[in-house]
Order: sequence, then structure tokens, then C-alpha cells
Amino acid sequence: MGEALAQLSEHAPQGNPLAGGTNLVVEMRVGRHQGKSMVDLGRLKELRGIQAQNGHIVIGGGTTVSELLKHPLIADHAVPLCQSAAVFANPLIRNRATVAGNLVDASPAADLAPPLLALGAEVELVSREHTRWVSLDEFMVGVRKTLIQPDELMRSIRWSKPPKRSAGAFYKVGLRKADAISVLSAAVMVACDTSGRCKLARIALGALAPRPLRAYEAEDVLQGQPLQAEGIAEAARLAAEAARPISDIRGTAEYRKRVTEVIVRRLLVQASEALEHP
Amino acid sequence: MAPAIRGRSSSRREEIRSCPLLCATAIVRPSPLKQRSDCAPLRRRRPIQVSLSLNGQLRILDCQPGETLLGALRRAGLWSVKHGCETGECGACAVLIDGALMPTCVLLAGQAAGRQVVTLECLAPGQSLHPLQQAFIEVGAIQCGYCSPAMILAAQALLAGNPRPSESDVREALSGVLCRCTGYKKPIEAVLRAAAALRGEPVPPIGGGGVPFEAVFGHGRDGGRTPADLAAPGGGPSGIRTRPIVAFPVTRMSPQPETDVVGHREPKVDAVKLAKGRAVFAGDVELPGMLHAALLTSPHAHARIRHIDASRARALPGVHAVLTHQDIPRVVYASGGQSFPNPPPYDQVSLDNKVRYAGDRVAVVAAETPEIAREALGLIDVGYEPLPAVFDPLQAMQPGAPRIHDEPDAVEILDANRNLVAQVHASVGDLERGLAESDRIFERRYYSQQVQQASIEPHVVITYWDEDDRLVVRTSTQVPFHVRRMLAPLLGLPVKRIRVIKPRIGGGFGGKQEMLIEDLCGHLTLATGRPVRFEYTREMEFTSARSRHPQWITYRAGVQADGTLNALEMCIVEDCGAYGTHGLTVCSVSGLRGLSTYRCPNMRLHADIVYTNKPVPGAFRGYGAPQALWALESLVDEVAAEMGFDPVEFRLRNAVRAGDPLALAKALGEGREGFEQIIQSCGLPDCAAQGAAAIGWDRRADPGWRRDPARPHLRRGLGMAVCMHGTAIAGLDMGAASIKMNDDGSFNLLVGATDLGTGSDTVLAQIAAETLGCLLADVVTYSSDTDLTPFDTGAYASSTTYISGGAVMKAAEQVREKIFARVALMLGVSGSAQQPSAAGMYLRNRSVWLPDGRSVSLEAVALHSLHTFDQEQIMATASHMSYHSPPPFAAQFAEVEVDTETGQVTVTRLVMAVDCGTAINPQTVEGQVEGGLVQALGYAVSEEMAYDQAGCLLTRRFGDYRVFQADEAPELQAILAPSYEPSGPFGAKAVAEIPMDGVAPAVANAVFDAVGVRLRSLPLTPEKVWLALKQAAVG
Ligand SMILES: Cc1cc2nc3c(=O)[nH]c(=O)nc-3n(C[C@H](O)[C@H](O)[C@H](O)COP(=O)(O)OP(=O)(O)OC[C@H]3O[C@@H](n4cnc5c(N)ncnc54)[C@H](O)[C@@H]3O)c2cc1C
Repeated sequence: MGEALAQLSEHAPQGNPLAGGTNLVVEMRVGRHQGKSMVDLGRLKELRGIQAQNGHIVIGGGTTVSELLKHPLIADHAVPLCQSAAVFANPLIRNRATVAGNLVDASPAADLAPPLLALGAEVELVSREHTRWVSLDEFMVGVRKTLIQPDELMRSIRWSKPPKRSAGAFYKVGLRKADAISVLSAAVMVACDTSGRCKLARIALGALAPRPLRAYEAEDVLQGQPLQAEGIAEAARLAAEAARPISDIRGTAEYRKRVTEVIVRRLLVQASEALEHP
Repeated sequence: MAPAIRGRSSSRREEIRSCPLLCATAIVRPSPLKQRSDCAPLRRRRPIQVSLSLNGQLRILDCQPGETLLGALRRAGLWSVKHGCETGECGACAVLIDGALMPTCVLLAGQAAGRQVVTLECLAPGQSLHPLQQAFIEVGAIQCGYCSPAMILAAQALLAGNPRPSESDVREALSGVLCRCTGYKKPIEAVLRAAAALRGEPVPPIGGGGVPFEAVFGHGRDGGRTPADLAAPGGGPSGIRTRPIVAFPVTRMSPQPETDVVGHREPKVDAVKLAKGRAVFAGDVELPGMLHAALLTSPHAHARIRHIDASRARALPGVHAVLTHQDIPRVVYASGGQSFPNPPPYDQVSLDNKVRYAGDRVAVVAAETPEIAREALGLIDVGYEPLPAVFDPLQAMQPGAPRIHDEPDAVEILDANRNLVAQVHASVGDLERGLAESDRIFERRYYSQQVQQASIEPHVVITYWDEDDRLVVRTSTQVPFHVRRMLAPLLGLPVKRIRVIKPRIGGGFGGKQEMLIEDLCGHLTLATGRPVRFEYTREMEFTSARSRHPQWITYRAGVQADGTLNALEMCIVEDCGAYGTHGLTVCSVSGLRGLSTYRCPNMRLHADIVYTNKPVPGAFRGYGAPQALWALESLVDEVAAEMGFDPVEFRLRNAVRAGDPLALAKALGEGREGFEQIIQSCGLPDCAAQGAAAIGWDRRADPGWRRDPARPHLRRGLGMAVCMHGTAIAGLDMGAASIKMNDDGSFNLLVGATDLGTGSDTVLAQIAAETLGCLLADVVTYSSDTDLTPFDTGAYASSTTYISGGAVMKAAEQVREKIFARVALMLGVSGSAQQPSAAGMYLRNRSVWLPDGRSVSLEAVALHSLHTFDQEQIMATASHMSYHSPPPFAAQFAEVEVDTETGQVTVTRLVMAVDCGTAINPQTVEGQVEGGLVQALGYAVSEEMAYDQAGCLLTRRFGDYRVFQADEAPELQAILAPSYEPSGPFGAKAVAEIPMDGVAPAVANAVFDAVGVRLRSLPLTPEKVWLALKQAAVG
């Protein structure tokens, strides 16, 4: 790890961390990253592992999507992440693709971002000199833009264990099960108090804006309310408002917004049902 | 520990250790670089050495910096690792790394350092087969075999962790490996079967319990025999068969009382080598001194090349040739792989001074490595003068539209000023009167989009001079003989100096019925004297290969109140892209199919075939029929619904039947006049009945079934379409076969026919074995080599079983007569030597039988003829053509779920009942049907080539171009409902293309059934359905 960081700072900004390579090698082959040198992270133990620590779940940046799928801590404490991993790319890519690679690549459609946003995740960035924790929401700045510096590595990602009486869900439209439209994805996390009022709501959207984002206004209407059809419908409508999709070959912006509303509503209904019948 | 690749510089270990960097591009030095300076030469790139465990042995691979593991493994001779794409999306290149399946095309070789890499080569030693390989062979899971190594490894990885997988586990495990041939059904069966075998459970014999007899042969056709009776081991008098087989009930339909090989589920003759991943494909060879080609393509949709300077590229060390339009002779040709003379127009030259679509050819390079060749492309200086471009055929026909073909030497373009490639007119009866006399008139317009064949093996060719200074072309083609003839003038070589070899090929689907890249590769060998390999990337498959013609079809139909079709007019506008190849003939087939499926006294066809500045459509499985039947079967459904008829009954009432003439067959030949056709066999009513029963057609009447209480936004529906196709091109296609007898009584079968994974080598060998009374294993088939095998037009137009099979049968019959004559000689059967078969001899169980019960073994016959007396080689060559093109028939059914809130259409089941005449091999027929259904489903719902404003293709990789994966494919059912076609070998007609024809309309009709909206534009994307639902709600 130290050696990798040393190389990065030495060659910055020409050094490039290489994890699974599923973004990087594809881009290299179309001629991007020419002249850059790759620092292979594949063997760094410091980037691996999934643990529970002080009320948090902490995963190494080099954790692969397959590893997420297999680990009981993820199944138990990160349902939307687990659901996202299950529909991530294909099984071959899952064996290589890493969490940090997904987040640092910062595609608007990065599939692990919405569930991690819904979980309220933070990322740990380390360089030779320092270590810092940044909330994922702040970390992603724009299309393929993040706060990471050329000499930094993303060592780990963590989130608080979801409280009792909480539920979450993820759904991705497109690119799987032969859905013929563009990717759009959404993740929700809700928690209720004993009286059934919502005390925590997070709604995150993918591929609907230059970066994965939280639909804060939609979350607000749920706060303190029982999770019922009306509130859910309103939250879904506001989530669709928050979306700023583009029109492209696979779908118009209008259609994407409408489907966002449908999907967020379904996810919230699903989560509220899970709360009722745990 | 060191974070880097454990690579070692070949010369300087220490340095690499302290500098553990992998270089993305040319140079391994960590210092910041300006690359692409005048020349970033080969010798500046230090090769790295990667040590790893490869199939259990420690190996050190020499790799170029930035080289992928895929390239390194193939160079190391591990040919089972296949190139299918460059983006990790097709899975053909998968290997096991530390036990996990990973794509090697998106993995740097260095990333595998120190890992355990396992490829298919080590699954089972020597000639043995792993239970997975065994199962893949037995159930017919291998068609072209190109994805089989990856599939088998994926299954191996699954079973290692889960010995008792469910079907959905298997689907998931295979989902990273795209297959374009099988529809995944048989591979999934194979994995489940192998899993059972590995658990030590007994697996049902193939044909016994494996496939329900009823489903395969239909109900009540077997004269009361039970599957168990038919599956009894033995079959023939000899009891030589080692496993039970389902006898084919040709008894009642064919003159052949009972068959021993034909009609049986024989494993494919090439299955073992494919299951073992042996080096059998066109690209699986490394020749000494071989160069690698790369093609520079146009970034502009339409431009003139004002100047082109390749001197910097030529100066790059490692580059051996750069060819531009200035360097090779200008010879006009048509690239479609069709009979002489190729249908017009002749509007292409190998390299031109003008480009007509983004992706068009500009220059080609041969260099020592693929990397250098690609680098050289960037050093070719091209001055383009961009010209206005046109992408819509309707606009392209307008006055003032850019003229795409303004070259003076193009031949037989109908009207280049209006971008009109050709027009087609045909009619019977009096359309206008027919319409006037009809009770109801319907007019509808339908659009079908451009889609790609997307065979997993890209186009690949290797050319080299042989020791006699003849040019050998080892190529992935469906038309080796056409390629030889068409190459000759382009290369300036006589046909006799060219030898075309087609080894195994990884799927074609029409995309390889084209002389696509052989000319450029040949030119490079001519220029360099060296072997050259030219392989398309996946991106080039999309941008610079062939595709399906988009068509706008307007129908006008006149129908009587009683539901009789009285008048039918079809107007087609066909987008032909930048070159006319196949444009005319595809459109003729659209007209023929679109106007012959139903009886109608008054019909008219008008078609405009129009140039646009788009990548070029060509031949694609179905060849015009899918477009036509999409429109026709949607129209017929609309008419039935609006007039209140049952859609199945309405169709059957109007459909053609045995004895009917095909009204337009004479008018619509292959770019020339065709031949009258009368239908001699038709199992359509049977197909419709069996298909309807299988899909549960009567559930349409059950409102409860349409809804799902747990998912209130869903609606279910059922739809269907009937299809009629052709079998070969009447009066044009010809195939030939040679058979010779060997000392042990076995036979060599040499056929020009081209097996592109469909199993035609097997089917042809079955026909020979049946006729010669031997086992399939006694027939050694060699195909598609212009030096060694007789002529064949090639694998297209669903012709091989019928035409080439006819040739094999004739040749085998002639050999049989010679065998009888020899036996007469041997036994001194007097008077019968002239007419031995009249003496009542017959062949069976590797012996010749006489009426008195005596028999002589084929081996004895062979030894006698070759060595003993009046010596001769028993052999025969025969060729076959036909003036008939007997139509196969089918009924296709779809079950869908429509999400009314998102418009998502999920096809949950597809059923196809097909009358292909006698199924020579029911297993390969099912394979054709299942794979075709899934390919056709992509056409219906998810596949589309999309462009930006400038005409640049946006769908350049599998991630954007949605081919169905194993976990997405619906449940499939293939039902064989055979008729007996008197003009075909053993009663066979075609099956290869018809599965493509009716799925799109069946799905659209099912969507209508589910939610009441009609979609007239393919593909049926969720947004289109959603919009239609929204409009229906408003209006
Ligand atoms: C066929 C295919 C399908 C795909 N499908 C999906 C999908 O469904 N959903 C989806 O979201 N993505 C998908 N992707 C994209 C990609 O697989 C993911 O983004 C993946 O998570 C990237 O991880 P990686 O380890 O391969 O990253 P790499 O390619 O190795 O790296 C990506 C970027 O992250 C940087 N990086 C990696 N690790 C670190 C680290 N620890 N610290 C700092 N920087 C780091 C690299 O320098 C690089 O800039 C797909 C890719 C392919 C080829």
C-alpha cells in the first residue's frame, strides 16, 4: 500500500491506479489514458475485506461486486447494495469490478452509488500524507468528476448499520432482463419508529443527472409521517422532479422522469411492506 | 508486498521490480510521455514477462506492454480462448483465474501475474471428455461452438461451488457468455445434465426420456407406438447402437420404411473438437512471419478524399504495407456472395477516393503486430472534403438530395441521381378493382429497424501464398466458392490460383454471405508476400460489416365481409445504406413473402430500394422475410381484430395450402426471373393447432389470467403469427458432393456445402450414412475447400439440407449401385451385374443384404474392389439443383407481460411449431428453432442500430446493442410438425431462417392482446409502448 501510494505521488498526475480494470482497460483500448502508467492495486490486502466495526459496516475499496454478493454482512446490513450487486454487469465482470473503481470512475450510471448513497456511505481517501473521510454525496462532483486527488487511493467505504425497523430496496431499469431502455436506477432506505412514523428516509437516483444524487425534497416529505400511499406518491413525484435526465437514443427525458416516479413509488411501497412484515 | 504486477523485464529484472508500473500505451517508462511522436517504434517498447500458472504449469509469457491477457494466451497457443469483443461483454474470452470466471479482453496480461489461469484446454486430458463436454455434445448444446469453451468454463465454475444448481442458477452462471446460435436452452439442459452426472445420478438417455416424444413429433402421429417402444435400443437388425434412440416416424409418410440414421438425434460430427476447444476456427493458426492488418475507416458519413498521404505510416518500423485507393487497381464489383452474375448494382471498389458512410473503407495496413498496425492508422494523413449526407431514404429520393454514387464507373444503378438502387414491380389480378369490390379496406404502415447479425466470431481471414504460388484464403465465410470467383478479378489472379478454405466458423447468420474483407487481406499478401491476418473488432462488426435492411412497408388490404382476402397491395421503401449489395434481392424476397403467405386474387408490389449514407445492410437470416412478415402478420391481426374474427381461424382461412401456386414466384426471382412454384407439402394447420395448444391459447378468454394480483400494473397477453419461408433459390442454387469408399468400408464425404455452425456437415453425413447403410461415424465429412471439395453455392437461403443434401443423396445412391454391382461380381450373382439393385439387394448395418438372407460386409466389398479383382475405387460425385423452392411453414406464439406504467414488455414464453418436412436431425432442427426464436426476439424488442445526427453509429458494443443473455431469454418450445416434401431428400425442406420471421408480429400482437394498443414500429421499446398507452388513455 505504501509503495503504491509512493508511486502515485511520484508519478502524479500520470500514475493511474488499476483495480479490476473493467473501466480502465476498456478505455485504454480506445486510446484514452495514453502515456499513463498503471499502478496495479490487485494484490493489496489493505483494500480487501468486509467488516463490522463500531456500528459501521466497513468494506475495502478493492472489494469486488461478487464479494459483496456473497457476504452475509452485506445481505444483512445493506439490502439495496446487495440487490444492486446482483444485477451488476454480468458474472464475469462482477468477479473483477471493484467498489472503489465504480465510485472513482464516477459514471452517472455507476450502479453502486445509489445504494451507497441511500445507506449514507462515506469514503476514505488516503495519500502518503493524509487520510480523510468524505461523504459519498460530496465525493461525487459531476460526470466522472470526484474529489479524489491524483495521489490518493480510496481505501475503504463505510456506512452505519441501518437501525432496527428499517428497510431498503434497489431497482435498475434497463440493460438487464432485456429491458430495452437506458439505465436508470433508484435506491431507497427507510426506517420507522415504533409508532410507524418514518424517522429516516433516503432516496437516491442513478443515471438521471450528471452524477448519482439524493432526492432530498422527496425524503423530507416522508420524514415524521407514516409511510402511506399518499406520502409515498408525493415523494415519488418529487424524486422525479429532482431527476435531470437527458434524452438519448434509448429514451427521452420525459419518459425517464415518469419512470423514475413509478420506480421510486414501487420501491417505497416495497420497503414499507417489508417494514410491516419483516 | 509489491503492489505491482509481478512482471520482469526480459533484460532487466531489477529495474522492473523497483518500478512496478504497467504501461497503458507504448512505453513502459514511468516518466510522463508525449507519445505518438513521429514514430513510437516497436523497439522502444520493452516486452514484459509475465509469470503465471497456466493450466497447472508455471509459464512465462512474453507480452507487449498494454497487451491483454486474451492476446497473450492466444499467442501462447491457447486457442480455446476466443476473441468476440474488446469490452468484456460477450464472454467468449473467459478463463478461470483463481477459480473465478473472468473476461481476458479487459484484463492486462500483467494483471494475471502470479495467478492460476485455467483454460478449456486442461478440462479433460487427451481425447477424454469431461462430463460437461459430454453433456454439451449429447444434448446438442454446441452449434457453431465459438462460445462453447467459455460456456463450459462458466458451468465448471458454477458446479465447483454448487453441485446442485437450479435452472435459474445455471442461467445466471451462463449469463456472461453471449450465444447467438442456441437460444441458451440446450446449453442450460447440458449443464443440468452434467451436474446430475457428476453427482452420480443416472441421466436419461438422449431421445429416450430427454425430450417428450409428443412434443417432438406431435400428437397421434406414431400410430399408437409409445415413446418407450420407439426408444428401445437396437433399432436396426444388428443391435449395433450403443444407446437408445427415438426412431423417426417417417414410416407413414416416406417411402423409406424405417430409417436408422435420418430422423435421429445424432450428435454433431464436429461436436467433440468444438467441445474440447481445439484450434479449428479461421483465426486459430499462427503462421511464420504472419502480419496483422488494420483498417482505417471514415469518420464522415459522406466525403471525398482530397488527398491521402501514407508516408509516415509506412515509415513506422514494423509496418510492411499501407494501401490506399492510389495503390490498388480500381475494379468495380458487388460484394454480396451470390451466384454469377451477381445481381446489380456493381457500385463498389476495394478502396475508393470517396467515402459513403461513417465506417467506410479508407486504407489498410499490414504490420508485425496488431498494435503497430493500429498505431500506423493514426499516421495516415487523410484530407476529407465532407459532403452533405442523407440518412432517410424518402429524403434521399427527393430532387436535390446529395448524390451518393456519382462515380462514372458504377454499373446498373437504376437512377443514381435519385439514389435509387432499383425498383421492383409485380402484380397479379387487378388490384384496384379488387379493392373497389372489397367490403372493407385497411391501410397500414409498418417500420422495421436496422439490426446486426452479431455472430460472436467477428469476420476473420488469413491469406498466404502456398508453395505453388497460389493464394490461400482461410476465411470465416458462408460462401467459399463465391469468394474465390469474386476475389479473382479484384486481385488480378485467375480463379485457378486461389484456394478458399472455410474451417469451422463462429456463426454467420448471413453476415458472412459477403465477400467482406478477403479482398483487402489478399491485397496485403500480394503487396508483402507474407501471410496476413485480418480480423474485425466488435466495433467494426457494427460500423463496417453488414446488417438487416430497414424497411417501411405500407399495406392496403381489401377484405370481404365473410373474411376472405380479396386484394392486397404492398409498397416497400427499403433503406439500402451506402452500397447496393443484396438490396434488390432482399427486397424481392420481402415482396414474395409478403404477398404469398395468403391466397389473394388481386395483388400488387411496388418497392423502392434507396441509397443512404449509412452502414450497409446485406444478408441476414430471413433475408427480407422478417420485414415483410412483421408487417403482414401485424396487418392480418389488425384486420381480424377489427372485423371480429378469431386471429388463428382468420389466418388459416386465407392461408395458402398444398396445391396452391405461389402467384409471384416467377416474377420475383433472385434479381432475375424466377420459376413457377406450386406448394406440394404444407403442415400449417397442424402447426397452428399444436402451437396454440402448447401456449395455452384459450387463456385469452380468461380475464383472471390476464392480471396478477401481486403486481396490479401488469397485463398478460398472447399473440401469434404464421410464417412461410422458402427452401433455396429455385433454379439457381446448386450443391455437389463426392463420396469415396475406404478399405474398412467407411466413406469420405466431400461437400462444398458450408457448415456455419448449423450442423449441416452432420445432416449431410446422416443422409449419406442412411443411404449407404452405415453408421454416422463411418462417414468422414470434409467440407468447404475450393481445392478439395466440389462446388456449392454456399450456406444461404435455407438451402443446404435440401440442395446439398440432394447432391449427397444422389452421390450416395450412385455409390450404392456400385457397391451392389461389386457384390454381384463377388458372389457371381448372374445376370444381375447390370441391374444389381433390381436383384433385391439392400444396404443396412454396414452390409449388403441379398433377398436370400446372405450378406456381405462393406469392408469385404471395399477390400475386394480396392485390392482383389478388377480393381476400382468405388466413388461417385453428384450435384443437385431444384426448380422447386418448397416452403416450410410455421406458427409462432408469444406470451407477454406488459408493465402498464413503464411500457416494459417482457416476453415470458415463445412457442414455435414448424413444418420443415422430415427433420433429418430433430436435435439440430430444435437448435435452429430455439436459437432463431431468441435472435428474432432481439429484433422484436431490444436490438437496434442507432445513429447520431451526423450518421455515426451509436451502438458500437454489446453493452449498447442488446443481444439476449441466458438469464433474459424466455422459456422456449420447439414443436416439430413435419409434412413430407416429395422433392426433398427423405422428405426434408428448410428450417434455418423461418424462426426469424414471425416473432416480432407475434409479440406485437400479444402486446395488443394484453393492453389494447397497436405498435407499428420495431423494436417494441418500453417508451413506445408507454407512449401508445398514454395516447390511448387520452384519446
Ligand atoms: C461489460 C461491462 C459491464 C459493466 N456493467 C456495469 C454495470 O452494470 N454497472 C456499473 O455501475 N458499472 C458497470 N461497468 C463498469 C465497471 O465495471 C465498474 O464501474 C467497476 O466497478 C469498475 O471497477 P474496476 O475495479 O474494474 O475499476 P478500474 O477500471 O480498475 O478503475 C476505474 C477507475 O477507478 C480508479 N480506481 C480504482 N480503484 C481505486 C482506488 N482504490 N482508489 C482510487 N482510485 C481507484 C481507477 O484509477 C480508474 O480511474 C461495466 C463494465 C464492463 C466492461
